Amino acid sequence: MTLLDVEDVTMRFGGIVALDGLSFSIEEGHICGLIGPNGAGKTTMFNVVSRIYQPTLGSVRFRGEELLTVPAHAIARLGIARTFQNLALFPTMTLLENVMVGAHSQGRVGFGKAISRISAAGDNRRTRDDAGDLLHELGLGHLAFVPAAGLPFGTLKRLEIARALAARPSFLLLDEPAAGLPHGEVDELGHTISTIRDQFNLTVLLVEHHMSMVMSISDRVVVMEFGRKIAEGTPSEVQNNEKVIEAYLGTTT
Amino acid sequence: MKSLFTIKSGGAASWAMRLAVAAVLAALMLWVPTRGSDSLIEVCTTAFTLMAAALSLNLLLGYAGQISLGHSAFFGIGTYTTAVMVTRWGWSPFHTLPVAFVLAFVVGVLVSLPALRIKGVYLALVTLALGMVFPQFIKWKKLSWLTGGAKGINDTGFKFTKDNPTYEIFGWNPWGNLRGQNVKPFYFWVGAIIVLVVYLICRGVVKSRVGRSLVAIRDNSTAAAVMGVNLPVTKGIVFGLSAAMCALPGSLSAIRTGTVTADTQLLTVAGSITFLVIMVVGGAGSLWGPIIGAAVYQFIIERTGGWTEPDAIPALFRPFFGWSKTAPGGGLFAIALILLMFVAPLGLVGLWRQHSVRLCRVVPKPAGTTTISVMAAAPAAVDETHTA
Ligand SMILES: Nc1ncnc2c1ncn2[C@@H]1O[C@H](COP(=O)(O)OP(=O)(O)OP(=O)(O)O)[C@@H](O)[C@H]1O
Ligand SMILES: [Mg+2]
Repeated sequence: MTLLDVEDVTMRFGGIVALDGLSFSIEEGHICGLIGPNGAGKTTMFNVVSRIYQPTLGSVRFRGEELLTVPAHAIARLGIARTFQNLALFPTMTLLENVMVGAHSQGRVGFGKAISRISAAGDNRRTRDDAGDLLHELGLGHLAFVPAAGLPFGTLKRLEIARALAARPSFLLLDEPAAGLPHGEVDELGHTISTIRDQFNLTVLLVEHHMSMVMSISDRVVVMEFGRKIAEGTPSEVQNNEKVIEAYLGTTT
Repeated sequence: MKSLFTIKSGGAASWAMRLAVAAVLAALMLWVPTRGSDSLIEVCTTAFTLMAAALSLNLLLGYAGQISLGHSAFFGIGTYTTAVMVTRWGWSPFHTLPVAFVLAFVVGVLVSLPALRIKGVYLALVTLALGMVFPQFIKWKKLSWLTGGAKGINDTGFKFTKDNPTYEIFGWNPWGNLRGQNVKPFYFWVGAIIVLVVYLICRGVVKSRVGRSLVAIRDNSTAAAVMGVNLPVTKGIVFGLSAAMCALPGSLSAIRTGTVTADTQLLTVAGSITFLVIMVVGGAGSLWGPIIGAAVYQFIIERTGGWTEPDAIPALFRPFFGWSKTAPGGGLFAIALILLMFVAPLGLVGLWRQHSVRLCRVVPKPAGTTTISVMAAAPAAVDETHTA
């Protein structure tokens, strides 16, 4: 079944066309790699799906439902979670609190319940335990009570994954999760991603510049250049595609 | 950093410490109104007023990161709601408190509407305008039938008559003499209850899912929205709630002083600045910060209140303040603020948190149902860099 359907999405920033009639779709349960040279529009695509940007044209459907009319805060409740390329964490909070905020869409405690303390303590305990478990699963348990500010980039990228998982998503968008990791750890992260996909029943859209990792864990790969899709297929199909080789090696014919 | 003691959060030692603090506070609360001098009771009541106002601003600015320089207006809404309802419609002043709360909530939400789209310095300006307009609005000639114009309103407080009850316990009357002159303990209690209510509201909000979403908005509002935080609604409610809470000490000041005018310091922009500075000195974004800040502020003001005559100034300070014709308390507090910004940007509470670990470290309860790493995927680099 198709989970996400991107159709003819165009996003202009003044004169810049960041997305130019982009179309592709993702099958449920797949890890879909989204690759392309710098500035191809991958992050812009993420921002469109998470409703940070309103595209100029086009439509994005999630489980057949149009996303572009849904407000940004309702995306998480639909089961869509993401990480950010340049980190968008809550620096004054501890790692544990960051993950607890990730579970915001799962909670029901509003101002009334918080002030009257109806069911607030139970909600806190559950959220805290879930967050602690997630941190342990991503190997960050020992840092639970450390503030996020000032930790190494690679650690924080992992924290972003933990925070995104706290929303119990069915669709996870990862924007360069391996950026800033030493070479040896990239494959390990790839392994982590396929494991969480199986464990949490996820569909994953993965943007990454580490080709070996993308090619080894993706079920399908979409290649973008200048806001357009230039190729799509299984990793081996894409690797042998002439347009892709051209885009990456910069050969002009 | 080594600490002398290590205690577990939620453990027996931590409860014992909380109880000890609560016992000391309770003892103070009983001692001041029953055994303290009249002037001490007065000072404490004023401090309560400032505590409640600074606490309410703290929820908005310290936690949600939305600046307001217009809280004097919400304070004034409380003052004038009570004054008008008591003198014009004969309400009991205490019944006007919930009305003031609701009215300020509504005004707060309305003010937040333009504030939803703007941030930082622009929000400061919009709310500053509110703070500046409020006294003018009250003094507006067309409204003087209601607000009394520039002259203000008299007899806004509680009437102490022969019919008032007494609450003696074996000749000891914690509320003061409600039929006679000495009613200061009574206001003390009202102030204490208002601070308690405001504190409990703030605490409930802060230590919950909503509280976390407020800090998330402050830290990174885009990420907060992606996590599912409804930005406009959350900001609107917290603005309203903060305004509503700030109206309560405003009402108290009308009840207590018996006379209100629009030029009272706390009803003008100077009031907003006072709340702000108290909050910052005490510690923004902490529940106890505004309380401690207000206590320190009122202490300094009180101590230096007589420093208008050179002879009244202690010799040590005379060279610095001898020239001053007005009491230098506010100025001293401002200097304290500037110094504090260098040594402790997070205020007195921040300073305490920074240094108290040497004495006592509170270990949080472990989070999670498992302590084993399921994936055992902890990269070595993480372990090495952050065991400190
Ligand atoms: N908010 C914005 N305003 C103006 N231009 C933007 C904005 N966001 C993205 N762009 C432009 O859109 C284009 C695509 O950017 P995008 O960040 O999506 O690329 P990317 O594929 O994620 O690249 P990278 O691999 O470097 O992360 C770039 O030319 C960029 O300058
Ligand atoms: Mg990018």
